[in-house]
Amino acid sequence: MQLFLDGIFLGSIYALFAIGFTLVFGILDRLNLAHAAVFTAGALVGIEIVTLFGVPIWLLIPIILVVGAVLGILIERIAFRPLAGRHDAHFAGLISSIAFGAIILSLLQALYGADTRRFPADAFPSTRVEIFGATVSLLQVIILIISVSLMVVLTWLVAKSKLGRGMRTIAENPHAAAVLGLNVGRISSTTFALSSALGAVAGVLFTLNVNAASLGIGHAVELKALAVIVVGGMGSLPGALVGGLILGVAEVLAVNYIGSSWRDMVAFGLLFLILILRPQGLFGARKTREV
Amino acid sequence: MRRKLLSAAACGSTLLLALTACSAPAGTDSTADGSLTGTGTGAECVIDSAVPIAAAFSLTGAAAQYGEGQKNALELAVKDLNAVGGVTYELSVEDDATDPKQAIQVFDSFISSGASIIIGPTLSNTAKQTDPIAQDAGVPVLGVSNTAAGITDIGDYIFRDSLTEDAVIPQTVKAAVDKLGVKKVVVMYANDDAFTESGYQAFAAALEDQNVDVADTLTFSKSDTDFRALLNKAKQSNADAIIVSGLIDAAVPLVTQAREIGIDTPIIGGNGFNSPALITGAGEAAEGVIVGAAWNSASDNEQNVKFIEDFTAMYSSAPDQFAAQAYAGMQIIDQAVRATCSGEREDIKMGLGDITDVPTVLGSVSLNENRDVEHDALVQIVQDGEFVILN
Amino acid sequence: MFADYTSLITLIALTAILAYSFYAVLIAGQLSLAQVGLASLAAFTSALVVPAEPLFGFIPPLAIGIVFGMFVGAIAAFILGLPVIRLRGVFLAIATLAFGEMVRIFLINQSWTNGAQGLSFSKLVGPGIAWIALAVVAYWFWRLSGSRLGRAFAAIREDELAATTMGIDVPRYRMASFVIAGAVAGLYGVLLAHFSRFADPNEFSFTAAVDGLVTAVVGGVTLFVGPILGSAFLSVLPEVQRVIGIDAGWIRPTISGVLLLVVILFLPGGLSGLIPRRKSAKRLIADPSLRPTLPALPAAGSELVSLSRLGKSYGGVHAVQSVDLTVNAGEVLGLIGPNGAGKTTLVNMVTALTPPTTGTGTVLGVPLSATTKAHRLAQAGVARTFQQIKLFNRLSALENVLVGGYRITQDTLLRRLLFLPSARRSEREAVAMASAQLIRVGLADKASNAAGDLSYGDQRRLEIARALASHPSLLVLDEPAAGMNHVEAASLSELIRSLAADGIAVLVIEHNVRMMLATCDRIMVLNFGEIIAFGKPGDIARDPRVLEAYLGSSGSDEDEEAASVLASENLAQVAADRDSDQSGHHSDPAPDGETNPEENR
Repeated sequence: MQLFLDGIFLGSIYALFAIGFTLVFGILDRLNLAHAAVFTAGALVGIEIVTLFGVPIWLLIPIILVVGAVLGILIERIAFRPLAGRHDAHFAGLISSIAFGAIILSLLQALYGADTRRFPADAFPSTRVEIFGATVSLLQVIILIISVSLMVVLTWLVAKSKLGRGMRTIAENPHAAAVLGLNVGRISSTTFALSSALGAVAGVLFTLNVNAASLGIGHAVELKALAVIVVGGMGSLPGALVGGLILGVAEVLAVNYIGSSWRDMVAFGLLFLILILRPQGLFGARKTREV
Repeated sequence: MRRKLLSAAACGSTLLLALTACSAPAGTDSTADGSLTGTGTGAECVIDSAVPIAAAFSLTGAAAQYGEGQKNALELAVKDLNAVGGVTYELSVEDDATDPKQAIQVFDSFISSGASIIIGPTLSNTAKQTDPIAQDAGVPVLGVSNTAAGITDIGDYIFRDSLTEDAVIPQTVKAAVDKLGVKKVVVMYANDDAFTESGYQAFAAALEDQNVDVADTLTFSKSDTDFRALLNKAKQSNADAIIVSGLIDAAVPLVTQAREIGIDTPIIGGNGFNSPALITGAGEAAEGVIVGAAWNSASDNEQNVKFIEDFTAMYSSAPDQFAAQAYAGMQIIDQAVRATCSGEREDIKMGLGDITDVPTVLGSVSLNENRDVEHDALVQIVQDGEFVILN
Repeated sequence: MFADYTSLITLIALTAILAYSFYAVLIAGQLSLAQVGLASLAAFTSALVVPAEPLFGFIPPLAIGIVFGMFVGAIAAFILGLPVIRLRGVFLAIATLAFGEMVRIFLINQSWTNGAQGLSFSKLVGPGIAWIALAVVAYWFWRLSGSRLGRAFAAIREDELAATTMGIDVPRYRMASFVIAGAVAGLYGVLLAHFSRFADPNEFSFTAAVDGLVTAVVGGVTLFVGPILGSAFLSVLPEVQRVIGIDAGWIRPTISGVLLLVVILFLPGGLSGLIPRRKSAKRLIADPSLRPTLPALPAAGSELVSLSRLGKSYGGVHAVQSVDLTVNAGEVLGLIGPNGAGKTTLVNMVTALTPPTTGTGTVLGVPLSATTKAHRLAQAGVARTFQQIKLFNRLSALENVLVGGYRITQDTLLRRLLFLPSARRSEREAVAMASAQLIRVGLADKASNAAGDLSYGDQRRLEIARALASHPSLLVLDEPAAGMNHVEAASLSELIRSLAADGIAVLVIEHNVRMMLATCDRIMVLNFGEIIAFGKPGDIARDPRVLEAYLGSSGSDEDEEAASVLASENLAQVAADRDSDQSGHHSDPAPDGETNPEENR
């Protein structure tokens, strides 16, 4: 049981990161590799705010949502929008987001130095709970709840709301969306803002959970998140959650039954297997080819 | 097609020309005219020109948090030594961006710009690529954080003041066995890092020597921060202690999470744990953690106390072992320069060969015939928010 | 004077070789991040075989390492390619990234690599060897770029489906680019390890893969010197920052990041886009004597296509039901019907882009089945155009047609590498044949324009020229006159008749009923996937069911127009026209014959 819960909690962090990742991919068909930098920025800016002003965590989350959203809009405006309509927008978007991510990280180093930082010890109550004979911390439960509810809210948003309809239209056919009078630019910005807001909050929760934030944390989770969104199905929000949880549990099982040296092999092996057996992922829809 | 080739060639050569044009002034070799030899010896040594000291550290990239402290400590050391008078040092610190390819180029430029000695680089695996270049060029190198085996075997110009894990860990394990009666342990280490892996090998050898039973060996990645799954596995072994070979980045979350999931057994770490961040970061959870180390931050050695005070005042954070070793490195170099009263490469190399019982922030330090450092290592335990000597 | 920068100079060459490894897959439109993983496999395994002394006293150890490393890289790429080659875009990138990470983790956990502690290598590579290796690699890619193989890669990059219908075996070529990239990656791995004298698996990480990709993209993939430019730019950047005295620390990566962003945003073709290029590498060769003699087409009247009860259903929807059809050499067969009648589905089955669900069929001797590959049919002599134009937009008009000639040309890469005169002759013949097709459709003066820049009507004509370049026995045209004015449509009709006169069987879908009646020998009318009428143009025009079908369609303006044509025209006259209107070859119809007055307000 403890094993299973450990896996679920580990996976919920992956899921939290991956949901923002997959949102942009599903709607705009772009892989935003600056997401890892946003994740790190959320963590480090969050630490700074708490350390300087003693803001309580419940107030920090909305602040970080805003910080993330602003970063997301900047990423969209600077690294993606100028590429719109270019035949190589796919490759170029990858590279420009890498460049933008590198700029964010080096500015973070300029602001906060390269040292590992952490939230003050009393930033979050370290309450522990016993469930089914396993020990879990309150924080882990909250992270899981946040991941699940974000997934539900976002899925609802994309499926039902006016904004969501716009997003789906763009996902189907950007040109048609423009013809229909949708403000493609604004909807793209909103999507990036949402995605990055989630990424930044994921950074805060991750840091609270492991008690360490360095410039490299986003990078370490990014690779796993890529595996998660493929396993779950590119662009699928429930897929990101389930994929994250599956990966978390698989890793914990690997540690216990295969050997910890091969843990990361399991993540990537799983990814590889899914790509070969079911390239659209567990929850992805297979796109039909048009002649 | 030919035109394409021509334009490509033109582009390429323009770039190279631009480079060499810029670098022309830097290419003058100050060691050639012998102006770095002075008069007198030891404390009375006077050298007219400043002795060029070069250092390559990882100021950006994955190892930036170690490089920054090293750079700060080195600058502090040069400032302190220049205040003594007689010999002045001109320090240039460069960034290898935690990339061996960059480090190779940095070493190249140091060598051609006439550096008398090169300090660094931060990581052992980088050193294995850069040090042979210096060796070939006849420029002495002093590693201040390289602990991997084989570094000083690269050649007779390669020295280091960083104690290898082999020198620190056996007595740490012995202390744990003697003082705490440890019989069965779980070993955890980051297997994708040269430093932590060699630490693991030292632990494994020492544990075998002491006939300690290893219940389980668990590996993680140097970029990991969530250790709960591993720790829960370790917990099942009911071992007397958990031995960890990891860097401080892993140490703080690992120690915090271990206490969080209810592991109360001692946690024993190596040099990587010897950082004030262990205490500031892990807080309560760090209590009782045992750290084998090359540098005693609590030592009442006068130099050490002053170093910690000055460093903290200047950079508003306490130095770690990497910083202390960098500072000590400069003290050793100063000793070597003054011994022959020369900043020439060959003379510094000779001077470094004769370093015996030099007082530094690390204590009394010697370099042996293998150009490796020898000084007392110690075993510390965290008590009441401070490192104290375990005895 | 370069002595101060030997390492930099060497590293520029080595990084460029890595970038070539990415370039090799990028030119075929693939994004692989496995390259550094392949390089590390090659580097570490080479440590097992590189001897300390020359083998047999004269084979230098490095040569053994290079050959072995390239072999390992190629084999590993092949094995990786088997499962992943069918993935596209980001999926391929992530799968190959996963492979790279798996290699890294595998090597870290092996004792023979010494794990994270790494392995030492002997110093065997200096600037000389690195640049010679780079020169060989660059030379290879230079010669590749003008060869048939290079054109096939470019075609796959631009449009896989269109490439398939040119007879290009896409999976095989994608695999070829993968294996080439693997060999180059292996070369890089071995050279790097023997230059830096040390390697540990962590050096070949995700970050290194991304750096390699960035180098290739910054250099640009449209010109073979791209990787060298990218490598020089990115390698020199930190050095320049050092030399001009920018403080070590965060500011340097910031500057590098900003510069990278600027290059990506403002130089779409990468740095190599800055190099002025001639508009097209090749000129038209109009001299008919240079055209080789081609094998004869099937005798007029021989049966080329025979379909029996062929059908296609998606789920429960019958797109095409039970079609019986034969097409003979030298005839023009028309396929009309309202929107959604199943016309395109039918020709997709005939060209093997869509497998039939029921019935049987044979096209040029190749049976149609679920496993029939479109490129096999194309090689048998089927060529087609598409309803939605599928040109290779970034290639010139002439290059498009050259790709079209894939089926009837021979590969020239090996001969080009050796500068054999026969390669030059083959290329001239290919250009001569392609030129003939361009002239035939009236695009001679636009040969060097990028296909994507042509007007709509010109694009339609270019697509036909490209299809003709394969010397097909059966030509399938899907709405070739869409968007053309009357004058253009008339000359197209004339062209189609002349093709049939040459002995080509033409299967044409078109909404322009007037043109169809004037062009076709026989017309088949489809509605809701079923044949509702089939016969001579005159009979079709008089058939009330046909008009009914168009009127009953909820569809588009085109359907309404077709209906009005069918209802109002003196159709017998129109149908009869097609024999009389054989005179006057309009080689260059006025492109804007019908200017919309609305636009000029």
